[in-house]
Amino acid sequence: MTTKIQETPDRIIAFLSGELDTAVAQETEQALKPLLGSKGKDIVIDCTELEYIASSGLRILLGILKQAREVGSRVVLKNVNDVIRDVLDLTGFISIFEFE
Amino acid sequence: MKVPARIWMPRVGIVVIAALLVETISIVQYERVRNLMEQEMRVRSKVILGAVADRIETMVEYGGEMDVSQLSDSLNHKQHFPSSYAFVLSQDGELIVPPPESRASAAQVSAAADMLRVGRTLSPDGEVGVLSARMDKPPYWQIGQVYIMDEVRAPLHSLRRQQVFMSLLAMVILFFMIQRFYSSDKKLREATEEQARIGSELAVAQRIQHEMLPKSFTQDVFGMLEPAREVGGDLFDFHRRDGKLFFCIGDSSGKGVPSALLMSVVHSLFRTISLKEESPSRILEELNSHICRGNDSNMFATFFVGCLDLYSGQLRFGNAGHDKPFLVGKEVSLLPVKSNLPLGVFPDTEFAEENMELSAGDTLFLYTDGLTEAKNPSREAFGRARVKEVLEGVRSLSPEVMVSSLGKAAHKFAGSAPQSDDMAMLAIRFSPGNLLRQQIHLVNDKADIARLSGFVKDFSAALDLDRKMASGVRLALEEMVVNVMNYAYPAGEKGDICVLADSDRTEVRFTVEDSGVPFDPTSMMSADTTLDAHSRPIGGLGIHLTRRIMDSVSYCRKQGKNVLTLTKSII
Repeated sequence: MTTKIQETPDRIIAFLSGELDTAVAQETEQALKPLLGSKGKDIVIDCTELEYIASSGLRILLGILKQAREVGSRVVLKNVNDVIRDVLDLTGFISIFEFE
Repeated sequence: MKVPARIWMPRVGIVVIAALLVETISIVQYERVRNLMEQEMRVRSKVILGAVADRIETMVEYGGEMDVSQLSDSLNHKQHFPSSYAFVLSQDGELIVPPPESRASAAQVSAAADMLRVGRTLSPDGEVGVLSARMDKPPYWQIGQVYIMDEVRAPLHSLRRQQVFMSLLAMVILFFMIQRFYSSDKKLREATEEQARIGSELAVAQRIQHEMLPKSFTQDVFGMLEPAREVGGDLFDFHRRDGKLFFCIGDSSGKGVPSALLMSVVHSLFRTISLKEESPSRILEELNSHICRGNDSNMFATFFVGCLDLYSGQLRFGNAGHDKPFLVGKEVSLLPVKSNLPLGVFPDTEFAEENMELSAGDTLFLYTDGLTEAKNPSREAFGRARVKEVLEGVRSLSPEVMVSSLGKAAHKFAGSAPQSDDMAMLAIRFSPGNLLRQQIHLVNDKADIARLSGFVKDFSAALDLDRKMASGVRLALEEMVVNVMNYAYPAGEKGDICVLADSDRTEVRFTVEDSGVPFDPTSMMSADTTLDAHSRPIGGLGIHLTRRIMDSVSYCRKQGKNVLTLTKSII
């Protein structure tokens, strides 16, 4: 599991790659900390290379979403594959995130 | 009771139309007969009167004396009707020979004479008719014959009354025939509707019974049920639990709906009892005590229950009066099993439990007597010997081929003879080579989830699961193991978690065991997935996901351990 963060003038993009299971949840959460300081910029989580997500990963996404709302940022999940989309669907997350 | 118009109108209508028709025909006939009668009377009168006139003429010609009173007597004494009479007018129209006073009054005679003078044959009121003969030789008299028409027509009237009476009678009979026709037609219609209703209910019952049968056949288990009627009292069932295959076959007394009802009770009891009980004899004993309760109609069922360990081949079985199954291995033989009493006879019956070890490739072939007792047109039974013969021919083939070969053989044997009894077959092959079982021991450290992930990936790859299925079962298992790590052991305490994965290639089963504090994740509330982001709690997602992904999630506490079992069908 690797994470990479890229900041542009109007958005912060996080690239998630690999499998976000419980074993790596904590370090991933740490790695994504910079997103919490979005200061109103849109947050894009690029899931093109994300292959798997467990509920511990979903919790990280939910934490980011809650924080972003407080400072008026949008959170967009990008290029979610069908396996992960199923999980988002089963948990109802599909209705609280934006997708592109 | 008020009969609605739409019911009586057509019936009365038919009778009225028929009556009008008959009446019209009889009036026409009546007129014809009357005309014929009157014509005949005229001819007859003409002949008689002509004869009398001739006699008078002859007498006058030869200068004979004419006695008026004698002439009156001879004209009137042989009158056909009591009130008819004859008289004679002279050439000038004077009454010269009156009828005797006893037959007609002077007024009547004078009225008749007037009619004769003016040439009328019927009085204006139609009551009196006059016929006459005029002589064309001296003395040129005119003889009048008077009839009272009522008298003439009297026989015709009585005929007419009889006719009316007869047609009335015919109408009444017709009415009753119509009533009878309608009511029998109604009964027939009701009977037909009733039959259609029962038929459609039976079709539904048949579908329900069919749907209750297991359908998850594999290359190692195959069954078939053919009821003789819409629904039947034969049954087979099987399900896997804890690496064991529980199976049964049975036949309830009788046929049709009553035995189907008993069998569906036995069926659901078997399913319930075999979920917690492993011993075939105890399953039979529990079934028996349930069925004996309130069994006032003395129904009974023969039943065979078995439990096959899919890994070791250890077979435990118990019999309640059912036909001995065949064991198809290197050779075909009957399974040595005690008969015992059928279910439903005595509540305290004990059922012996027996066991044996199957070798890889052995097949157990179970059937009901509908197979062995299938009759051909000359009433000969198919018999065990023929079953054995067919099994010997297919002994190395799959359970499905075994069952369908026997089905075909029995049908071919029976030929045109109707199927007299329900027929069920179930074949179970012990093929441990098809099973996959893997195990991993973890510690309660989240880092070990990485090892779990590797373990599940290998297991899924060995089963050739597709990406979605593999990802789903991995997620479900991870969530449950993380749960155990979070809750089963107190913080800081080291603990073990054992995960057993097995599959017969139709379903996967994960068993998660730990020795922590009693903890039942299935009792946890699922997350509410409809809430918005703000009010979402951070928890309960794991069990929710697991429940949605797997087919079953069950927990039990066994020998001081939490045992969680997850299953999912993979076909």
